[in-house]
Amino acid sequence: MRRVVITGVGLNSPLGNSYDELYESLKAQKSGIEYVPEWEIIKDLGTKVAGRVKNVDLKAIPRKFRRSMGRVAQLAAVSTGQAIADANLTPEMLGSKRCGLAFGSTMGGNETMFEYMPEVQEKMSFRGQNSMAFLKMMSHTVAANLAQMFEIKGRNLPTCSACTSSSQGIGAGYESVKYGMSDIMVCGGAEEHHYLSAGVFDVMAAASTKHADEPHLSSKPFDEARDGLVVSEGSGALVLEELEHALARGAKIYGEIIGYGTSCDGAHITTPSREGMQQVMETSLEDAKLKPEDIEYINAHATATARGDIAESHATHAIFGSLTPVSSTKGHMGHLLGGCGVVESVICLIALNESLLPKTMNFKTLDKECAPINVLGENTEKDVNIVMNNNFAFGGINTSLIFKKYQA
Amino acid sequence: MATKEEVYSKIKSVLMDEFEVEEEAISMEANLFTDLELDSLDAIDLMVTLDKELGIEIKTEEMQDLRTIEDVCNFVLSSIPADE
Repeated sequence: MRRVVITGVGLNSPLGNSYDELYESLKAQKSGIEYVPEWEIIKDLGTKVAGRVKNVDLKAIPRKFRRSMGRVAQLAAVSTGQAIADANLTPEMLGSKRCGLAFGSTMGGNETMFEYMPEVQEKMSFRGQNSMAFLKMMSHTVAANLAQMFEIKGRNLPTCSACTSSSQGIGAGYESVKYGMSDIMVCGGAEEHHYLSAGVFDVMAAASTKHADEPHLSSKPFDEARDGLVVSEGSGALVLEELEHALARGAKIYGEIIGYGTSCDGAHITTPSREGMQQVMETSLEDAKLKPEDIEYINAHATATARGDIAESHATHAIFGSLTPVSSTKGHMGHLLGGCGVVESVICLIALNESLLPKTMNFKTLDKECAPINVLGENTEKDVNIVMNNNFAFGGINTSLIFKKYQA
Repeated sequence: MATKEEVYSKIKSVLMDEFEVEEEAISMEANLFTDLELDSLDAIDLMVTLDKELGIEIKTEEMQDLRTIEDVCNFVLSSIPADE
């Protein structure tokens, strides 16, 4: 069986713009959530906090490629460039038909859409609209733009499934390599900061509204005092590679992907199903040929909404009981939507390589409606070999990835 | 009626501001595609921007043969109605 290893990492998140920065932020228990004064003018928007990407030079992307990218694709491009450089992939490797890409986002470029549509609608005319707007807004803008910029000519799988966009990207990449369609897959996802995303959760009464004065306290996954999620932005990319291919070129190996499951609840468009969540974790375990007790840490999706956290806790408890350490890093940085699966996968790699199981920020008391899982309230230093990353999206889409410390 | 110099000056500022072209690369003789490394989509967007900024109506379907900045100048000038 072909083994799939991770040989490159890149990210842009509210907690830093590289593996090392993210690690340092987690170790220092930093919060990446801040008050957003620009949102005060939006009538009836309750949530006023977000995690944003800082200190990234998007203008460094050559205009030739940047012209058709909204912020979402630009963030993805910076992360992907970082991952490709980290993996030391040559143009020949990237241009081979054996190298592909799997990348997604919830939305295309929201900012572009909000500039473009009102003008077209007001005038009922496309006169004066430039040719790039659509390319920034289209659903597969990230996957298409990345392929142009990095000249990736193999399979291209846009995985646009909201909050599982990037975990499905990684899963699709893993399957592509494992089942022999590709030797290298560049995978991940992204989301850009925009009030549209915040407003969507706000109208569903799912966004945090109580902590504009103390933004770092706003996201409290699994805690009884949680009041909703914090809508953030971010992006990340992983280079997945077939083990022998990676070894032959002496690549650095961050870890191995040994299990993946994806499914749909097929039930309700937004209400998560604990059965669906449980099923996808079981599928991932079956794929990895593991028993539940083999998993030593779980990075939960837990966004700090009432229903999601409860359902996930019960699904997790049904399989893993009360001992396996679980944390949700959305307490630190909020919900990166299309970017969360990949950044949380990097956190799983940090757990494997740095022996840091990050705490759940702001977690004090488990909601009594949650099942009694072992939510980490403090950073824990522990040498672990196998960890799981779970993500769930609107539409009932579920993913579960299992990562293992690389051993020859 | 705008003069050729005025149109050239506008094209130059649009190329620099919107298309990030270096000032020294811009001249009447510069080829949009080989010298300035623009492509057909850029050419359309250049016209759309000039259309907006100069308040004229450019028929982009008639602009296939534009190569140099001088071609663009002449095309823009020919798009400006004679009575203006």
